[in-house]
Amino acid sequence: MLKVDGLTVRAGSVELVHDVSFAIGPGERVGLIGESGSGKSLTALSLMGLLPEGVAASGTARLGDRDLVGVPESRIKELRGREMSMVFQEPMTALNPLMRVGAQVAEVMTLHGRARREARARAVELLERVRLSEPAQIARAYPHQLSGGQRQRVMLAIALANEPGLLICDEPTTALDVTVQKQMLELIAEVAPALLFITHDLAVVASVCERVLVMYGGRVVESGPIREVFARPRHRYTEGLLAASKLTPRGTRLPTISGSVPPAGRFPDGCVFRNRCPHATPACETAPELTGDGHAFACWHPAD
Amino acid sequence: MTLYLLKRLAVLLASTAVAAVVVFAFMALLPGDPAEIALGVNATPEAVAELRRQFGTDRAPVAQFLDWAGGLLQGDFGTSYVTTAPVGPQIADRLGVTAVLVLGGMILALVIAVPLGTFAAVHHRNLLGAAISAVSQVGIAIPAFLAGILLVFVFAVQAQALPSGGYVPISENPAEWLRSLLLPWSSLGLVQGAVLTRYVRSAVLDVMREDYLRTARAKGRGSTGALWRHGLRNASIPVVTVLGLQLATLLVGAVVVERVFVVPGLGDLLLNGVAQRDLLLVQGVVMVLVAAVLLINFVVDVAYHLLDPRLR
Repeated sequence: MLKVDGLTVRAGSVELVHDVSFAIGPGERVGLIGESGSGKSLTALSLMGLLPEGVAASGTARLGDRDLVGVPESRIKELRGREMSMVFQEPMTALNPLMRVGAQVAEVMTLHGRARREARARAVELLERVRLSEPAQIARAYPHQLSGGQRQRVMLAIALANEPGLLICDEPTTALDVTVQKQMLELIAEVAPALLFITHDLAVVASVCERVLVMYGGRVVESGPIREVFARPRHRYTEGLLAASKLTPRGTRLPTISGSVPPAGRFPDGCVFRNRCPHATPACETAPELTGDGHAFACWHPAD
Repeated sequence: MTLYLLKRLAVLLASTAVAAVVVFAFMALLPGDPAEIALGVNATPEAVAELRRQFGTDRAPVAQFLDWAGGLLQGDFGTSYVTTAPVGPQIADRLGVTAVLVLGGMILALVIAVPLGTFAAVHHRNLLGAAISAVSQVGIAIPAFLAGILLVFVFAVQAQALPSGGYVPISENPAEWLRSLLLPWSSLGLVQGAVLTRYVRSAVLDVMREDYLRTARAKGRGSTGALWRHGLRNASIPVVTVLGLQLATLLVGAVVVERVFVVPGLGDLLLNGVAQRDLLLVQGVVMVLVAAVLLINFVVDVAYHLLDPRLR
């Protein structure tokens, strides 16, 4: 349903996302993980046509038979909120502070051709569907009267309003309390059509998604079914990421990936991970291809 | 909202009362006895004392204040010691002219600043946006009276298209009234418009970076549509603050501009009063100006509450 091929995102001469390809089938839930600065959010924003000023995408991405990359805003805006929707990381600032919640939910429906009164009524139903108690009251509230968790549910209601085929969630639970996080994840897993779920939290991916893409330095370095990738990571970066997130016995040092993510444009040539990789060899000066069926990875000396 | 309105109204009344005390005290502290001024240097002490008794200035200051303030409540500003004419009607006459001058200037400033500032914000990355910013900088550096003199030079002296000064009441000749006010309005409005353009630009720029504009676009709005529907009202909140301050500035600026263009407004009346040592007249005009500024602040605060539900 969504097919991304050779997606590259540039800010001037700096390449932020390089040659990313993946596909999401109808109803499939795919996780996109990686550290901050790995290009996850830019990948998602370029699908929505919401890249910040001065940042441009190339390559192809198709949702059904509609192109998403390199088309004028007037064309892609018809798809936004109708065929595909996005929930952002920061619920506290994502809603207009001067507008009632119900009106903000209804807006996404009236924009795509629904009558105003019908949209208002359906907004309340949607608020109920995302498990907000007293939806009629919430609809009359202003965003500042709601908690972060409630606001994120409102964002989800907006995203789901027109029954889109694809939902993109960019760290939707990162800003929420742990207890609220779990409810939110369950809700997303339950209501999402096809899902692209961005996070840096491996446990979250494992609980929501069926397939995972691991990004580092603007590239997909490993992808595959979540059980396989997590049980038997092949790329050394994935391996390090999983080791760093495991619970370790008291008194032992936490395993970490040495070094830190370089700033955009400062990644090494060849394999982008080689300056932090304990297994790097001269072979890594040539960029490895992402190879493999089902479970794919881009590494010259994978873990086994 | 009603409770807030009542509270704010109480604050307005209290601050106006305090202002009345301050204005009165200031005038009372000034040297110069109205009776002595009226009678000149050769007056006998008996005549001065008699006139003081007539004016009521021989009484204790508190009694004089209560008398004056009590009159204000009924719209009576007292009777001039110099011209023996009642002060209130003079002020009422002139207040209308100044209000028209100030409001016209403000509207002109808004008409200039809102579209230009928004345009400059949306196009902040290209030359035209930068040019608007630069020109508005120049506008800020020019005081209203200088703008007035320049405008007179260009449109009245060189082009002879508009009168260089004077005022025709609207009841006499509406067309001439408009012509007589065009230059005063422009000299107030162009300068304030330049100042306001910068505030509008930065307010719109701030709003353009907000997450909720991205949300609006994610719903399917274009960037212009998102800015219209979700941006402008948010951007208006900081602009309203500046607008309130500017109205107060304009009121003061009007005093000077009225002089430049010989417009019979409050500023003109105030300066005449000062020249003739007409204490009660000056006291009345200052009181009206202070009350107007307090009223503007009140309106701005209420406008905030209407605009921003977070304050309710």
